[in-house]
Amino acid sequence: MPDKSLLTDDVRALVGQESALGSVEVTPRGWRHAVEVYTGRVPESIPAPGEPVSGYAIAALEVDDESQGLPSLLPSSILISNEWEFERPFRMGETLKASHRLVDVHERFGGRFGYSIDFRAEVVYRDSDGEVVARSGRTMTQYDPTEAKARDAAGREASE
Amino acid sequence: MTVDPATVREGDELPVLHLQPSLGMVIRHCALQWTFPAFFYDPEAAKAIGMPGTIVPGPLKVGLLYRAVDEWLGDAGWIRQVRAAHRRPDQTNDPIDVAGRVARIYEEGGTRRGDLELAIINHAGEPSVRGFAVVEFH
Repeated sequence: MPDKSLLTDDVRALVGQESALGSVEVTPRGWRHAVEVYTGRVPESIPAPGEPVSGYAIAALEVDDESQGLPSLLPSSILISNEWEFERPFRMGETLKASHRLVDVHERFGGRFGYSIDFRAEVVYRDSDGEVVARSGRTMTQYDPTEAKARDAAGREASE
Repeated sequence: MTVDPATVREGDELPVLHLQPSLGMVIRHCALQWTFPAFFYDPEAAKAIGMPGTIVPGPLKVGLLYRAVDEWLGDAGWIRQVRAAHRRPDQTNDPIDVAGRVARIYEEGGTRRGDLELAIINHAGEPSVRGFAVVEFH
């Protein structure tokens, strides 16, 4: 465990900052590929332009690196959660503006990873009116594998 | 299957979705997101990071939760939110079950909604993912 918190004012100041990722489009090709990945089935038909499409489409929009802008404070990281959230269904053919945002960062002082830091970030998709349509979020935990192994070994010893 | 919004009740269980995520599914997912960590498709790379074999990507598993809810809900509504908290890795080609139950039915914003508790259960009977979803009925 470090001598002092790694959550400096500079790190905390990143929370809430948004960086533009450019425009993305809900395309027949992207939606069809996403449906095939998750369901193993080829859709029988493609929704017409403007028709609502299933949320699988969000996975086809995630082409940019979401981890950009996240500081590397500890040597290892692991994905601990994912989230898809929709304010309304996507519409086939619509163009959305994507941006990346660090939602929250906090540190933990116990648990299986020992001292660790959780970064919750999201990509926000807005329509041409600037209204949020959807969010794709993820939480990454940064940790020191040396400390995690030591805690794991200590835990096993205590249970024997 | 499409659930009947008029009869859905708290405590109702979703049909269990039996799956066996294959290496092909994982590779197609990597291609969809254009991200290719080797431990998702190369057994030696997976062993190098302490895994017994290639593993199913976490972002793929949130989509499998979505699928379980989508197949239960059908045309009766749409999915507002789905969340996956990853508890342990699932190895490629291992069977998994996606299970769920209706935790709460309520009105919000003039719409009828349901909160669902979800889980992915591995072949050892352990939850590899704890999940949650919100649906809005038509």
